[in-house]
Amino acid sequence: MRSNSKNTLLKVVILGDGGVGKSCLMNRFVSNQFDEHSFHTIGVEFLNKDIELDGETYTLQIWDTAGQERFKTLRTPFYRGSDICMLTYAVDDKSSFKNIEMWRNEFLNYADVKENGQFPFIVVGNKSDVPVEEREVSQLELETWCNENSITSCIETSAKSASNVQEAFKMAVQYWLRLESRADKIDPGVNDTVDLKKKHSDNRSSCCTGSSE
Amino acid sequence: MHQEMFCLARGIEAIRLMEGDNQRETSFERSDVLRRRVRSNQRPKLKRVRSARKGFEKFQIFEDDVNSIKNKYLKEYWKYVNRMKMMKIKTKTAKKNVDYLQMKTRNDVKSENADDKTVPWMLRWKYRRIHPVCDIRIQQVDGGFFERFGSLFKEQAELVEAQEQIEKKKVAEAAAEVAPEKIDDENFDEPAPTVESDEVSVSSTDTEAEVEKDPTQLIHTAWNIDELYSEVLYEILHNVGCDLSFEIGQTSLFSYAQDAFKISNDKHKHLMEVAEKKEAPDLMINVEVIEAKELHPKDSNGLSDPFVTLYLASNASRKYNSSVKPMTLNPTWEEHFALPIQENATDDTLCLEVWDFDPAESVKEKLGKVFDVKGLKGMRKLVKEIAVTATTGQHENELIGRANIPLNTIPASGMTMWYSLDKKNKITRQGVLKVRISFSSEKNNQVAEQEYRHLLRIILLHELEMSKVAPNWWFGTFSPQGAQLLTQHIAQSGLTPVEVAVCQYCVFAFIHQNHALSLTLFSNLLDRLSKPIQMGVVCDEDVKLFWDATKKLLPSCFGVIRKIRRKNINEKTKMKQVTDVLKILNHIHTLDPPTNIDLFPRAAYPWITNRIDDESNCNVPSALNDAVTKGAVDWLNHILENNKRPDESDFARLQNFIQIIHLIRSDLQKAIEFYDKLFQETVNFQYAKALYVFYQEKVTSLCEPEVRDICRNLKKIQYESTDGENAEDPLCDGTSLFELYLAVQKFATLGAGLCPADCDNFQIRNFHEWFHGGVAQWLDIAVYKALQRIEKAVELDRLTHVDNTVKYSSSAVDTLTIFYQVKVFWQQLNWPDVESCYSFIAKIIDDICRCSVFYADKMAAKVEGLGDSQNVYEKKFEITNEWCLAINNIDYVRETLEPFTNDLGMTEVIQKICDMKSPVDAQRCQQTLENVIANAIDTVRNKIIELLEVVVSKMVPSMRRLLVEGAELCEQDCNSIDRLMMYVDNNLGTLHRELNEENFSRTLSIVWDTLALTLKEIIQTNVDKRRPPSFFANLRKTLNLMMGSFKNPNEYDSCDVLSKTEQLLRIHGMETGDLIHEVHKNMQKKFKETTESPYGEISVRAKFQDTSLTVEVMNASNLMAMDWNGSCDSFVRIHLLPDHKFLSIEKPKTKTHNKNQFPLYDEQFTFTLTCDQRQIEDGLIMFSVKDKDLLGYNNRYIGEAFLAFSEIEDTMQYIGCLPQTHLLLDRASNSILASEEMRALEQRQGDKLAKEFLKKFKQRMGS
Repeated sequence: MRSNSKNTLLKVVILGDGGVGKSCLMNRFVSNQFDEHSFHTIGVEFLNKDIELDGETYTLQIWDTAGQERFKTLRTPFYRGSDICMLTYAVDDKSSFKNIEMWRNEFLNYADVKENGQFPFIVVGNKSDVPVEEREVSQLELETWCNENSITSCIETSAKSASNVQEAFKMAVQYWLRLESRADKIDPGVNDTVDLKKKHSDNRSSCCTGSSE
Repeated sequence: MHQEMFCLARGIEAIRLMEGDNQRETSFERSDVLRRRVRSNQRPKLKRVRSARKGFEKFQIFEDDVNSIKNKYLKEYWKYVNRMKMMKIKTKTAKKNVDYLQMKTRNDVKSENADDKTVPWMLRWKYRRIHPVCDIRIQQVDGGFFERFGSLFKEQAELVEAQEQIEKKKVAEAAAEVAPEKIDDENFDEPAPTVESDEVSVSSTDTEAEVEKDPTQLIHTAWNIDELYSEVLYEILHNVGCDLSFEIGQTSLFSYAQDAFKISNDKHKHLMEVAEKKEAPDLMINVEVIEAKELHPKDSNGLSDPFVTLYLASNASRKYNSSVKPMTLNPTWEEHFALPIQENATDDTLCLEVWDFDPAESVKEKLGKVFDVKGLKGMRKLVKEIAVTATTGQHENELIGRANIPLNTIPASGMTMWYSLDKKNKITRQGVLKVRISFSSEKNNQVAEQEYRHLLRIILLHELEMSKVAPNWWFGTFSPQGAQLLTQHIAQSGLTPVEVAVCQYCVFAFIHQNHALSLTLFSNLLDRLSKPIQMGVVCDEDVKLFWDATKKLLPSCFGVIRKIRRKNINEKTKMKQVTDVLKILNHIHTLDPPTNIDLFPRAAYPWITNRIDDESNCNVPSALNDAVTKGAVDWLNHILENNKRPDESDFARLQNFIQIIHLIRSDLQKAIEFYDKLFQETVNFQYAKALYVFYQEKVTSLCEPEVRDICRNLKKIQYESTDGENAEDPLCDGTSLFELYLAVQKFATLGAGLCPADCDNFQIRNFHEWFHGGVAQWLDIAVYKALQRIEKAVELDRLTHVDNTVKYSSSAVDTLTIFYQVKVFWQQLNWPDVESCYSFIAKIIDDICRCSVFYADKMAAKVEGLGDSQNVYEKKFEITNEWCLAINNIDYVRETLEPFTNDLGMTEVIQKICDMKSPVDAQRCQQTLENVIANAIDTVRNKIIELLEVVVSKMVPSMRRLLVEGAELCEQDCNSIDRLMMYVDNNLGTLHRELNEENFSRTLSIVWDTLALTLKEIIQTNVDKRRPPSFFANLRKTLNLMMGSFKNPNEYDSCDVLSKTEQLLRIHGMETGDLIHEVHKNMQKKFKETTESPYGEISVRAKFQDTSLTVEVMNASNLMAMDWNGSCDSFVRIHLLPDHKFLSIEKPKTKTHNKNQFPLYDEQFTFTLTCDQRQIEDGLIMFSVKDKDLLGYNNRYIGEAFLAFSEIEDTMQYIGCLPQTHLLLDRASNSILASEEMRALEQRQGDKLAKEFLKKFKQRMGS
């Protein structure tokens, strides 16, 4: 149950190949738990988590998707309305890294976001705890790819050892904030048509109720 | 009887003429389903109109009722008035009565009217609830998008279902009609109701050569007609038994026979003479011509067309001919002949001659004509012609060879021999002929049978020709004459019933090939035959004949099965036919056909598919299965041909599929209702299942690729183009797509019900996967449409109650309608796959939640600005009903979220996941769904709170102004307070009336919170303005008044901020003296709590007696060292507080005790108080213990202690007897300094008293 205070709501979608540890990442982030033997996600999973950043509280609505191809039609409908997209791969799985591009395209295709490239993508290389000899994707490769695709946020995490998980999500929110403030500067007007895309600025308030001071 | 038959025939003809037009239509008509669909589309409209009219009528009746009631009362009233007048009693009571009556009239009418109004409203509401109807204008936003998928869709499905029920009922009725007839089959004496030409019905689908006949069988009919005819004449002459009734004279029999045999008068006369002369022979020689081998070829093609002529040398003119076997050198005849022999027969010789039949026009050529021959008559003619040609010898026949058998070489017991054939002047052998010869006194049985068969055929053909019986209708009834002839023959030949039955079976089967007879005939014959054949009673030859006949019969049986869907026969007849066919097949199957006979020759059964290699391993069940399948194939092809799509658009493709599936399903439905039971009971064949297996595969292969293709290519919705109508609806095929989905779903369900064991193997089982992309797409688009609709609904909402019973307005209902439609759509989908089901539900819930939030936003935007008013003097905000409705609307939508999600079947899905996967997975899924819902509910709730805050914040300026006014003018002008009260009362009243409990209390708490903040602000500004305490006191009074006006006084107790503010007001409202005393009281309270003190302790006694107060300061201990020498010089001063109330009282002090930390003062002081002073409840005694400075200027505080008046006993006792009170010394501390009271004192800058107190207070702190 979400707290009653009205934080900024952000919809986060986690994408990536099956088995790279999307659910683990989410579970680590939300409940600080790690299950070595977790199953395939069925379709989608959803969890809430409040995160504090610069004194503001953001409620992340995290949609964890199933990576298997057969779930494709089941997960794509959830892309729409996302604020943040987390592209994940496993550092010990080269192909999952190669697929990042595919995932990004799938997301852009179904999420119907206007400002391509302007969307807050964050690339997360999970399983950073694996021994060096099993690693197939280096940090450098990650950064290179992100540079090429003008994605400014990338990070290596380990859901198992809990390293960088919180940071990854924070980084995502920061990226979102940056883009948001820029967008506000460019387009302060609020269009009053059916705003499926939800201008965050007009229906999200961050005031609180009932506190004394 | 004949007359009757004629009449019947005429009747039939008439019917045929009448029905001709109908019958000429194509045999397969576009299915009923289509027509039904069309009808179903019209029907509800009609119904609606009808019900509307009914309503109108009802209403009229009702109005009449009202009028009559009115009239009744009025009449009564006037009567009463008149009577009163007449009696001239104008008393008050009378008037009262009149009034009463008037009132009653009015009331009754009113109450009737009231009912009229309320009932429909209620109904309408109820209706709305169960079956929400959307505002048309809102529907227009997207062209009724949701209805198309939701309720309308469901309605349509239900309608179709209802129609099917009706259809089923009809079928059941038809079946029931047929059933009793089965019982009195024997009396089946009805005339054929329809006569249609076989050609028409065959032409449409029959392409294979079912007409193809084995030519040899025709030759078989080539019989010596004259011989048979004279035999018949003889039998007529020598009638046996008394069967020959008086009505049918010999003459009529003769003429009948002559007609039947088509014998010319001359010939008849001649043969008649022969027959009359003929006497019953004593001895007969029975010859069976079996077969011949290695015959010498005579024709150019190296073959011959052999036939056998046999005669006795003594009577060479009387020749008997066998049939002609065309184009063979090894013919098989198996024909029987009985030749009468004279007394002196021993030296007679039996001559057997084999001829090659070779007329000017060969039999072969004539046979070629058979295929051109049409109809019964032509057929008959040809047969006769052949026979005549063959027997009369008017031909150029060539002798192949002959064998002469002297009768004396034949043993009495008979023999079977091969004879070699010789020919004069030819040495070479001409072939061998096998014959069986025996003697008997009577006709040989087999000969008799053969004769009987011929006779039967001739008579039957004659009868059929005469009576013009329609195909499939003749079932064994001969005219009396015919029957008579046959009976005579049976009797005189001594045939057994079984033999007769076999003969009939064979002949009927033969005839049946060209002129269909009633199948009942065969099934009845089989009833009689199957047992004897099984028991082996029937002779081998007859068995062989039987199977040959069966072979001829079967194609037509399978034909019936294959053409089971033909429309040109009425259902009853068809049922009957099928029943008979199945009975026949069952008989044949149980008889177990001999292996040497191929019942299913490839040529006659091209449609039998499952032959292994070239082996003829077909049996009845497999052939039946193939026949059923073939029928279905034909029918399906027919459907496909007749339902060509007009174009290749998705819409046309989908509609086409829908139609085809409907047709297939209706066929299946029919199969289930009509035939399945029949098939299963009779031949243990699962008819419907066989059909289903076939259809499901076809449907799958037909639809799957295309549906997948369509779903894949569904256009993505363009969200940007919301403004114009130009945006083509990407789901214009949507309705069709899901109509198809439902159709396929129903089809699949049918299969699951039909064969639950096998349905897992059907390809159709996974039909939903074809539509997967479509559903995902639909859901995506649905959100968009929903948001559009919500916006429109909010725009159109006039913010008035939907009706008196509810507290929300139209847009809430409209929004819920959308949800409802989505729900109905989902329920209709009834998605079978659990995993995707779960995902879809998650998606739907998420979408619905999004819609709710969106609705809340739109609603809030809608009421923004309402209730504001401005005039010259003030800007004002009033809470309006609209505001409340907006809040209620949002809340109402929020409330429905949870039940809505339950309606989606969440629980079931979770349970299924639990069963299929694992409880852990299930739990995670459940968690997800719950999270999504909880999230949405929270978000919407927050929206409500936000909105309430907006409301309250709008109220604040007015309240603030009124509060300030009230504070300033309290004393002079109570009007202001009243106005404030009215304002608050009005607004909160509105809220209380309109909002529900929860939201109202929410509002209140927000009001209090906001008010507290406002007050604080007011206080601050006014303190800054140095308002007198009276201002704050008034403000406090106003506030208390206002709080008192709230309904629930407990509400604000919980409001911390408010009570603090109120406290603040109290403080600021106090006069300075009181305020100072307040500080002291606080100190006393605080000091009492201390348990340890660095300053020391004093012991005192005190008592009241009347108005005098006695205080004894006894000692002090552990006093803090104040001086450089580590000790102190202490004294105690006594103050009575509050100061300003004890101005007249001295402040005495004890003597100073030098350098003593444990001084013993032991001094008593008595104060004489006024009555008023004695009454001061919160009075305090303050003991200030000070260290005396040497010079006396700068006495320093060691500490202070307080004793409250309330703690002092009022007693007569001597003070020395009272217990000592030990008081710990303490000092004024920072916490006291920081108190609101001190701050208030500090803010009273201009107040001397306050200033002095503060100055002194600092000293008291010991600084």
